[in-house]
Amino acid sequence: MECYEHTIKNIRGNIDLFYNFLPSTAEELMNAKLKKIITIATTMLAVACLTPNSWADTDWADDLTAISENDWSYEKARHLVERAGFGDIPINIERLATMGPRAAVRELVYFHSIPSTLPDFDHSGIHDSGIEPFPASRPAATKLAKETGEAIGVKVKPEGNRRLQPVVDRFFYWLRSSMLETRRVAHWWANRMLLTKRPLEEKMTLFWHGHFATNEEKVRDYRKLLNQNQVFRAHGTGNFKDLLIAVSQDPAMLAFLDAGVNIKGSPNENFAREIMELFTMGVGNYSEQDIREAARAFTGWNFTDLQFVVNASEHDTSNKTFLGRTGAWDGLDIIDMILEKPVTAEYIAGKIYKFFVREEITPELQKELGASFYSSGYEITPLLEKIFLSKDFYSPASMGTHIKSPVELVISTYKKLGLDVVPGVPDFYDTTESLGQILLFPPTVAGWAGGRSWITPGLLLARGNFVYDTVFPNINFLPSDRYPENYQIGVVAERLATGADIATATQPEDSYATSASNNMVDRDEEFNTRLGSYRGWRMAIERVKPISRTPARLNLTKMVLAAKCTNTEEVVDYLTKRFFTISIDQDTKKLIADFLEKQLGTNNIIDAQTFSEEAVRETFHLLLSLPEYQLG
Amino acid sequence: MIKKTTFKRRDFLKLLGAGAAAGSSVSPIFSQLSPLAFAGDDTSDKKILVVLELSGGNDGLNTLVPYGDDAYYRHRPTLGIKPNKLRKIDDHFGFNPDMSGMERLFKDGKMAVFHGCGYDQPSYSHFTSMAYWQTAAPNSGESLGWVGRLADALDPNVTANYLVNVDATQSLAVVAKNHVPVVFDDPKEFGRKGLFNSRPLLDKDRVATSNSSQAQRRLLELAKSARQASEKVRSACENYSTPIDYGIAPLDLNKIAALINADMNTRLYYTSFRRNAFDTHVQQPNLHQRLLTYFSDAVSGFFSDMERIGRADDVVMLVFSEFGRRVAENTNLGTDHGTANNMYLIGNSVKGGHYGDLPSLTALTDGNMQHTTDFRQVYATAISGWLGLESHEQVLRYRFKEFPVFS
Repeated sequence: MECYEHTIKNIRGNIDLFYNFLPSTAEELMNAKLKKIITIATTMLAVACLTPNSWADTDWADDLTAISENDWSYEKARHLVERAGFGDIPINIERLATMGPRAAVRELVYFHSIPSTLPDFDHSGIHDSGIEPFPASRPAATKLAKETGEAIGVKVKPEGNRRLQPVVDRFFYWLRSSMLETRRVAHWWANRMLLTKRPLEEKMTLFWHGHFATNEEKVRDYRKLLNQNQVFRAHGTGNFKDLLIAVSQDPAMLAFLDAGVNIKGSPNENFAREIMELFTMGVGNYSEQDIREAARAFTGWNFTDLQFVVNASEHDTSNKTFLGRTGAWDGLDIIDMILEKPVTAEYIAGKIYKFFVREEITPELQKELGASFYSSGYEITPLLEKIFLSKDFYSPASMGTHIKSPVELVISTYKKLGLDVVPGVPDFYDTTESLGQILLFPPTVAGWAGGRSWITPGLLLARGNFVYDTVFPNINFLPSDRYPENYQIGVVAERLATGADIATATQPEDSYATSASNNMVDRDEEFNTRLGSYRGWRMAIERVKPISRTPARLNLTKMVLAAKCTNTEEVVDYLTKRFFTISIDQDTKKLIADFLEKQLGTNNIIDAQTFSEEAVRETFHLLLSLPEYQLG
Repeated sequence: MIKKTTFKRRDFLKLLGAGAAAGSSVSPIFSQLSPLAFAGDDTSDKKILVVLELSGGNDGLNTLVPYGDDAYYRHRPTLGIKPNKLRKIDDHFGFNPDMSGMERLFKDGKMAVFHGCGYDQPSYSHFTSMAYWQTAAPNSGESLGWVGRLADALDPNVTANYLVNVDATQSLAVVAKNHVPVVFDDPKEFGRKGLFNSRPLLDKDRVATSNSSQAQRRLLELAKSARQASEKVRSACENYSTPIDYGIAPLDLNKIAALINADMNTRLYYTSFRRNAFDTHVQQPNLHQRLLTYFSDAVSGFFSDMERIGRADDVVMLVFSEFGRRVAENTNLGTDHGTANNMYLIGNSVKGGHYGDLPSLTALTDGNMQHTTDFRQVYATAISGWLGLESHEQVLRYRFKEFPVFS
């Protein structure tokens, strides 16, 4: 019933102001009875406002004008922090609540004055120059090895069985270690999201990662994903043109979209297509011909190791006709012409809006935001400031209606728990995977669909399970960065250790092997891929630094006592206020408070504090399993 | 599914509730709207459709190779698969070398191949074209999936667990207006963790209050269906084991087999070969052959399993991809996005063989084949011919010419 409290506060505040302005004689005339009548009237007004929509802000939807200082409240500050960052603990929200909207938004949006002291990524040291250039596939690696006697920095054995085995081992080593190291990058990033004093910086990095989505599974090089992540961070709230160029010339994207094989005489459209369809204009604003012409303009764009290069000899210098204009365009020209189109600004502004505000955006609002973005020359910070100050942002349609993405859910939960490090149990990668979103491994270049697609019956249960896993860490936890997902290579390891020959050791398990694919594994005598898979995994976990497996250090009893809770109702009230962005109905809260009381054997949390932690955690799990917890 | 023999007038009127005015007299149009006019016998309510999506744009020409057409080899001097390597099914076509399972299914007469499937003004974008196939609304906007709409049309009673999607996230194809698809990936994970004491409250179905927002309401509904579905799915998968080899990548067909074995209410299953696996722009030969092997093994394993549990007559599978690939190979030993492609309907009840006109490999538009079959014809064939919904336009918006695959 936040609107209720807010409106009452508002009205009473105004009435107090009114009294203050009256001359003292007039105030004497205002007898207690009249004051009482006014109080009753305000109560009635407030009763009339017993709907989720405060009568004062129902017409705020789609209104981009700024809210006034009077409109500010704890709930609005909490909403701002939830969206512009990953939520926060009450004391920090209170600070922003006292600042007023302009100052609060300013602090979040113009964050560069706040120092950033977070550590750089700590590399395991899995890479060496011999790995470059990494072959496109295992068959390409073995073919190269057969032809030249060497590949991936490894020579072919001069004699004996399985002469190419070391090359194959190395191939799988790099795939496995880069994948594991990428997970470490994601874990490092999760810690940044949790600890940063500049939440919007990390939130925008997350946004751009979903927008310019590249997946390490195809890129096969954690360093490129890490560097791209830095590009998002550095340019994420700057100028979109700078960001677009930086991303388009960044090896991660070039690798992901096959830019390197887009050469004169042999254009590959992938890169040009996705730049136009997904990253800038959106479908319907260009033709297939435009894509083909743009591909020719991008020819020669490539990378060597981690450097962007333009191979002049592979660049098609002839004329191209793109969006109706003809010239000897290169990639940068194409980008300029794309940005000249207002539809690009509308597309990007609309996407930013949907990520930070809500899914439903009217065409008019999108045009308005797009025009604003376009006329600023694609400056991202003013756009964000405008959005975060707008009445629309604080309208009932926008507050408490966003379904938190898996990463938002996990990080904001940790943040609201007051953790100072991302727990190693449950594992961040495992958790977000079970919830449907893995950082640095988006399903396709379109990123994550978001919105309602985060919620299906299975995923709703998984979200509740995440809370359980946080408060009751799994003592049977097996770190997925140590135990191979492919159990079959675990079997290979055991068999080898017992002295089995390689052919026997790498046979598939006991199922009746009728399938052709299982019979293929040991077909070529020059190498054995299953052996390579096992060795590659083993060498990878030798090198990749382990993620610390400390669970969350929790003391929920201490938390609620510090908040001056004395009984179970107050505990539930406090927890809902701290963790939820909408209010929970009284009946449900009562049920949960009664549950806690039953577990404690008393209503009095102070009396029970020496033994209450199990029960409070169980209650916490119950509470955060409510479907409403998905709303941010 | 309402059996013809137990049809009652009030059921009929309930069905009409969504569309026609409840008070209208019984007129010819109602027979069009009635889902009861199927030709099958009483076992029709056990019929199951499994849709398998091959994501990424599978290269149909190298899957079922038209080795009898010289143009194929002219366009693909390197990528073209030589006749002696193929698994020939007749004197014109042969499957990619390791697709032994698919070859056998065709030779056993259980596989219908549809040629030249596509749509007008094709999109070459994965997301767009896949969205068109998943919504059966090419070049149009549609937020509901065709399988979701099919569930709503076939089952107005909104039976729980009618529609199952095995995937990490809900596919657009199964987004429905009324049905909430059961979406799961790992059956073991599809269960709520919670201590004994908290179970009653955790499993409690809460109702929305008058103060609840739209978002809240929806979440509460989902929570309810989650609980019910999870119990069923978990026990179905736990109680199932099979000696059949599904190969290296079962494509979740083994999970579907477990649910079928457990006699869930489910009539519609949707699964996929995920992550745009078939997007073979570079270095296609080995990768594609591998992918097709996994695909073939999974499908044939599934049907062997269906035979084993005695459900092979009840199940038909539809296989598709969001587009084929260009006829000519590119210079990276791969192929780029194309247009027309093959679709498959597989099952005991299928009249095997070739359907649809072969698209020309010479009369190309911009290097791409002209489609000869609207992909929705195959959908319509499955909807009307197999599942018995005569008025498939309820689902597909228009009527399409079906193929005589189901007698």
